[in-house]
Amino acid sequence: MATLAELEARDVIFRYGSDGDEGKLAERLFFMSPRLRAWFEEDLPGLGSTWQIELSPAEQVADLIEAFCEGGELSVGRMFKCLNPKESGVWELKTADVRIFGWFYKKDCFVGHRADGAERIKTINLYPGYHGEVLRFRDGLDLDPPKFILGTDPDVVVSNFDYP
Amino acid sequence: MSSFQISITPSRRAAARFVRKVRAELQKAAVQSKASGGASQSDVARTIGVHRSVIHRELKGTSNLSLGRVAELAHALGKTPQFSLEDLPVKKGNLQTTVTVGETRAIDVSPRSSAPVQFYEVA
Repeated sequence: MATLAELEARDVIFRYGSDGDEGKLAERLFFMSPRLRAWFEEDLPGLGSTWQIELSPAEQVADLIEAFCEGGELSVGRMFKCLNPKESGVWELKTADVRIFGWFYKKDCFVGHRADGAERIKTINLYPGYHGEVLRFRDGLDLDPPKFILGTDPDVVVSNFDYP
Repeated sequence: MSSFQISITPSRRAAARFVRKVRAELQKAAVQSKASGGASQSDVARTIGVHRSVIHRELKGTSNLSLGRVAELAHALGKTPQFSLEDLPVKKGNLQTTVTVGETRAIDVSPRSSAPVQFYEVA
């Protein structure tokens, strides 16, 4: 069994480094699996926008994670959401064009495993598949229990949120 | 161990941050307006002269917001936007050195802009 920090030290998971404000420590932590990191590096840069908005999907995701790590207010439903079945503790972080799937290890500590374009996910109904992949990855992690936060209330998983 | 960050330029990072903050203020104003019995999204759409779905997309982030539209939305919600620019704080000792053929350049890495945007109630 290992802590999240030990898994990070062994490169089993990676921490998202956020510039944040000067001298300010991250308020929240965003970790990613090797698979998610590879998607950020290889697929995200070339992902097109369904909505043709001024921010590219890469810029949307970078900004979302930056806002997350800085402890910024997160909008329930619009920026993050618990997937069904809710008791499995799988959550998605959202931008206009991208969905990131993972779970909250502790409050304000997200571990992401898969991501994809929102349009593709909805068109092909990839939600169940990604949900399952997150569960399998999490179950296979040599992580000290409890491996995720039980609870579907946003207040349980993040601080500083609002309902639109 | 290594951390990782999505590579976007500081100026685009500043742009994304600003867009997010403006939209968040508008969303907040829209929620407050509806909660207090003020203008709903339908009312805002009627005031501006567009379909409600247009307002929904603009507030949700799946449609761009022009500067003019920001002001229109604010006004329809009983607010007026204010805007100011501030100097970027310069981080001492935060220099990156790049080596190109024949020369060494020191690049001052400054944090992104944090120009505030606020909405005030219309008198």
